[in-house]
Amino acid sequence: MREAVTVQVGGFANYVGSHFWNFQDELLGLADDPDADPVFKNAALDMDVLYRSGETHQGVATYCPRLVSVGSRVYILHVHGGIICRVSWLFEFIRSGNVTRSVSKPHGRNLFLQSLVEEGQNPSTSNGGSNSQKSVEDKDLIECLENGVNFWTDYSKVHYHPQSLYELYGSWTDFDKFDNYGSAQEVVSDWSQIEEMNERLRFFVEECDHIQGIQFIVDDSGGFSSVAAQFLENIADDYTNTLVLLYCVRDPMTLGPSRRNQRESIMRALHDAVSFSKLSSFCNLMVPIGPPSLSRSCMSPYLYIQDEKPFHASAVCAAAIHSITVPFRLQRTGPSSDLAHSSGNLDIGELVHILSDQGRQNMVTALDVAMPAPSLTDRDAMGNIEMKLHSLTPEISDEDEDPYSVESLVVHGALDRGGQRTSISQVKDSVCSVYEARETKPKFSHLSASLCPLPVPLPFPSIFRGNIGRHGEILSDHAEESQPKGSLDIESIPMAARLRSSSAVLPFIERRSGSLQKHGVARGTIGSLVLRDWGFGREEVEDMGEHLAKLLRPFHPEMDLTSDSD
Amino acid sequence: MSLRVLNPNAEVLNKSAALHMNINAAKGLQDVLKTNLGPKGTIKMLVGGAGDIKLTKDGNTLLKEMQIQNPTAIMIARTAVAQDDTSGDGTTSTVLFIGELMKQSERCIDEGTHPRFLVDGFDVAKRATLEFLEKFKTSVVMGDEPDREILKMIARTTLRTKVGAVCFLAFKLSLLGQLYEGLADQLTDIVVNAVLCIRKPDEPIDLFMVEIMHMRHKFDVDTRLVEGLVLDHGSRHPDMKRRAENCYILTCNVSLEYEKSEINAGFFYSNAEQREKMVAAERRQVDERVKRIIELKNKVCAGNDKNFVVINQKGIDPPSLDLLARAGIIGLRRAKRRNMERLVLACGGEAVDSVDDLTEDCLGWAGLVYEHTLGEEKYTFIENVKNPRSCTILIKGPNDHTIAQIKDAVRDGLRSVKNTVEDEAVVLGAGAFEVAAKKHLIDNVKKTVKGRAQLGVEAFADALLVIPKTLAENSGLDTQDVIVSLQNEHDRGLVVGLNHHSGEPIDPQMEGIFDNYSVKRQIINSGPIIASQLLLVDEVIRAGRNMRKPT
Repeated sequence: MREAVTVQVGGFANYVGSHFWNFQDELLGLADDPDADPVFKNAALDMDVLYRSGETHQGVATYCPRLVSVGSRVYILHVHGGIICRVSWLFEFIRSGNVTRSVSKPHGRNLFLQSLVEEGQNPSTSNGGSNSQKSVEDKDLIECLENGVNFWTDYSKVHYHPQSLYELYGSWTDFDKFDNYGSAQEVVSDWSQIEEMNERLRFFVEECDHIQGIQFIVDDSGGFSSVAAQFLENIADDYTNTLVLLYCVRDPMTLGPSRRNQRESIMRALHDAVSFSKLSSFCNLMVPIGPPSLSRSCMSPYLYIQDEKPFHASAVCAAAIHSITVPFRLQRTGPSSDLAHSSGNLDIGELVHILSDQGRQNMVTALDVAMPAPSLTDRDAMGNIEMKLHSLTPEISDEDEDPYSVESLVVHGALDRGGQRTSISQVKDSVCSVYEARETKPKFSHLSASLCPLPVPLPFPSIFRGNIGRHGEILSDHAEESQPKGSLDIESIPMAARLRSSSAVLPFIERRSGSLQKHGVARGTIGSLVLRDWGFGREEVEDMGEHLAKLLRPFHPEMDLTSDSD
Repeated sequence: MSLRVLNPNAEVLNKSAALHMNINAAKGLQDVLKTNLGPKGTIKMLVGGAGDIKLTKDGNTLLKEMQIQNPTAIMIARTAVAQDDTSGDGTTSTVLFIGELMKQSERCIDEGTHPRFLVDGFDVAKRATLEFLEKFKTSVVMGDEPDREILKMIARTTLRTKVGAVCFLAFKLSLLGQLYEGLADQLTDIVVNAVLCIRKPDEPIDLFMVEIMHMRHKFDVDTRLVEGLVLDHGSRHPDMKRRAENCYILTCNVSLEYEKSEINAGFFYSNAEQREKMVAAERRQVDERVKRIIELKNKVCAGNDKNFVVINQKGIDPPSLDLLARAGIIGLRRAKRRNMERLVLACGGEAVDSVDDLTEDCLGWAGLVYEHTLGEEKYTFIENVKNPRSCTILIKGPNDHTIAQIKDAVRDGLRSVKNTVEDEAVVLGAGAFEVAAKKHLIDNVKKTVKGRAQLGVEAFADALLVIPKTLAENSGLDTQDVIVSLQNEHDRGLVVGLNHHSGEPIDPQMEGIFDNYSVKRQIINSGPIIASQLLLVDEVIRAGRNMRKPT
């Protein structure tokens, strides 16, 4: 068993993380539940990889995620004053001449959290005879979550270790406007906060006997990417041989329609370039996630996602990340032996090695996901699994004919036409035949398979359309329902996810490199002023540009000669 | 109005409106912090969005935690917090002083004085006050053996004002009386000894060499100074000793864990024996390093009852731990980076980056090493070291509030002792300096200034009195009585401060109430600068794109 430590930095990353840990919690619960589908028990993923056991001061045993989560905090004792608010306010302020202090109302617990607390207090009532009443309650809970999720903690049902949650604070930093790389300057320069984050991480790393790597989820749409870059740099210093697998997640809304003025759009472009360059220089494999719109994506026949709700979008991202991490937890076997419930174990090191050290040696990979995965056994429909994988990585090219591409595909909980679970060998065969049939085959492809599907926990948003069955099978003869289905109607979902290192990500990198060249390098432009505001000297900008050029180099082997000569 | 032509959306405040906005903001901030000054100041309760509570009277903490929205107030708060960053104290005083300068100026401006005269007066008064401070300060000769008593007094003045809240929490009201000062005195000893421990002659004091460690355990009176180091982790092997005396300490940054070879190599074997061999070969490098450490241990510990402890910044994996445990060595992995530096200062020896050429000279020494377990948290104490140049303040407390507040108090105490040692001077406290400086300004300086700038000097002099006034007010005394009696004493040529118990004048030197020289100088320096700038503002404009950006 090799441990992995998870780090989440930033608002949307915590949204994703909260869903991710809900899945894990659900898996733990189902493995112990005698009534549950036996597949969860037999296909047991090794949860010790992500979880640690410990005990509290009172000697109570705990089982908590090995996690450091970084978010923001604001103390709410305002000293209000005029000018920042509105002019009318200001004049009133001058007339009355005093300072008002207001303490804002603490956010109340929502229905879901209340029910969790009650359940903890009297566990006997939760599985009593009043089953009918219970489901009514559940419906209320789900509705309450659908309408009112304001924070990632609103739907989290996991017990976190007290060392896990860390709140950043900045006296002069406005976390509501924490939207560009420069806005975190104060936080990053505050030595004690960075040190504290390192300490939290050290607590979890110190107790690992063989750490396989760190999974790092960052919300790179704002100032948190600068915090994360600092954090990653320290990780690279302190744990030299520990691999970092970085997921950059983004709320679809932050990429939304650009109704901005010129300065803002330049800032946006520069932010993307700078944070991409900084983050990629301190990790071993980078997976950008965050399509501009999930509601209009190819997944829409099956999923009903409201883009404006981070609660929805983060659920899809979390499901994809969950699938990627499944191979880290499978049982290790020899290459020849075939286990009944899983195959293709990988650890983070092997994954990084497969994807970034071979072929093009490119460390930026695209993430594709099929949610739910199509049924497999029918020979004709077999092409499906390829066709049904949709990219969650933004700004990549659609054509997928790269002979040098390297992939790692994970299929878990796959079903056949009749809605029966397929065996591992069936999955293998069918995936192989798909690849046989392809015109351009990838240079290398790794397949991990497990019987265990993605469980749908209670606080999962209702994003499934009516054509999805109870176990995630796709119903062909369904009645057209408008009501989306949620965790009450659907127990589990088969998933397929793929990490792909190919030329498809080229536009993503090119665009960032291009915008840094265009806006950042020329003297006296808005862009260079912005970069100076963010605290970057000229040389640093050039270094970043060079780093981006280096990331592009694997795609243009002919460029090697020219760029090496200078 | 001309701006309206340039940008119709601009929001403008002009002339007196702008000035009054600034003055009101300064006064408002002063009002907020006024009640927290001094040992008798009251406490503020900060409530977070999630219902978390923080009780504090430390100006610096308050300003940092409060979400201030008025730009002028932000500017003042930043000045005050910068004051804390450079000198470690005086945040509240800075805010009060700026607020009072603005208040005094407001009176003059309402009577028709142009702000420019006031600013000129401030400038003269500031320079005169700083000169006066040079004369007024009490020199402390540090030499090789610093005067512990003076240091203790300084530390005590700082701490007494801070620790009130701690006792309030820990012992409720009934015990407040005695333990309040009891704890402050205890912390005083700790802080002074800590600074003297890390002090090196002719070098600036690096407070990072004092590790501050906290344990949620027992009571705040169990807080103590550990001459040595406390690490927040323990050994990870069941057979390692939990307590050892007379220990050699090896501080190293060497990876003792098996890392996969870079190339993706396969493992091919046909029987168990072969496999064993290959595993052993893979591990050989790591084992080699462990063996070297064991060799050194056997060399230095042969034939005596000494022990050996390895503290590694990198990881140590279970097989290596096993080897170490079998050789009777205690091994700790993943030590904090900063602790590597501290360990060397505390125990001696040197931090090694490789295990080649290990000699006895690389080793440090500690009389006692033991582990303490609290739930799942482990602490390793390294004590009884020779000639420590680094030490740990171990803060204990029954709950997080108490710990956080003692931590703040210790931090301030450390810095004030450091300031004293570096300034080699102190200033009489309890308001004595302010009253004396006022007298000096009015009697001697004002006459030398020509014209209306005199008003500025006078306003400055009056503003200085805000410190004794507030001290009196917070002690529940009558402000005017106190100020009059203090001024009377000063007129008679005596230097007195305020006894906040009785309201009578006292000699601060006798009572041992001192302030930091550098803190006072900073306040006198920065207060008038910011006040002058605010006074000279005649228009407030919000139109530019940069104005909305968080600064």
